Amino acid sequence: MAIAPEYWLLVSAAVFSIGLFGILTRRNALIFLMSVELMLNAGNINLVAFSYYYGNLTGQVFSLFTMALAAAEVAIGIGIILVLYRNFGEAEVTLANTMRW
Amino acid sequence: MPTRPRLNLGRHMLPGLAAVALFVVMAAIFLRAEFPDALVETVGFDGSVTASIGYALFDLTGTMDGNVEGVIASDGFLAAFEIIDVVLVAALVGAVMLARREEGGSLRTALADGGRRLVGREHGEATTEESADGPSFADGAAQGSADGAGHGPAEGPGQSPGDGGGDA
Repeated sequence: MAIAPEYWLLVSAAVFSIGLFGILTRRNALIFLMSVELMLNAGNINLVAFSYYYGNLTGQVFSLFTMALAAAEVAIGIGIILVLYRNFGEAEVTLANTMRW
Repeated sequence: MPTRPRLNLGRHMLPGLAAVALFVVMAAIFLRAEFPDALVETVGFDGSVTASIGYALFDLTGTMDGNVEGVIASDGFLAAFEIIDVVLVAALVGAVMLARREEGGSLRTALADGGRRLVGREHGEATTEESADGPSFADGAAQGSADGAGHGPAEGPGQSPGDGGGDA
């Protein structure tokens, strides 16, 4: 007996909302990056769930590509956090609030 | 003395209510949606999922009908495979370039090295100063396991086993 598809969508919506909550409220840049990863993985849950229900593998293969994109984005994000720490002394997203002139 | 971590609740969590509202809206839509029954009854895959993913990545699922026993239908992902290859190489090069050490520019010097301040610059709102080792040497006994302040008491017990071995 399979799980009804709306429950998979509910799990995905919950994970997405938790990631969005983390982006809106956390100050630490690394926790911010973790929340972005949560949102991306919520989309992947959706893709895999519908691939299972249609009996077609397109959703699963596409979720592999979005996971590779998430990994590339995290690599650049951690590089940016490193430069942020070097310039400001703290890895917080609220510190960089002026442009250079 | 270490204290337990406290939950930081406050006014800064007000924007998080938007995320809670979004979840409520999405849950209401998902629980009311009607999925076709044919979708729910025929679930699952017959055949090898891993092998079929491999064929789908190289757009070979159409040619394997008679040769392999279980190939699950899928779209072809050859173009996406090549493009993600380029994206990953670009991300690697970008990450290495961002993490490079300074080559003379003053804005790229490391500000601290494990708590010890290297460059004598003041930055606006950073408050964690673990590099104040100088004035705290006077309270060396009270610091416990601070960086340089534990040398005095640690050498006392270290000498007594040596004295006992010299007697025997």
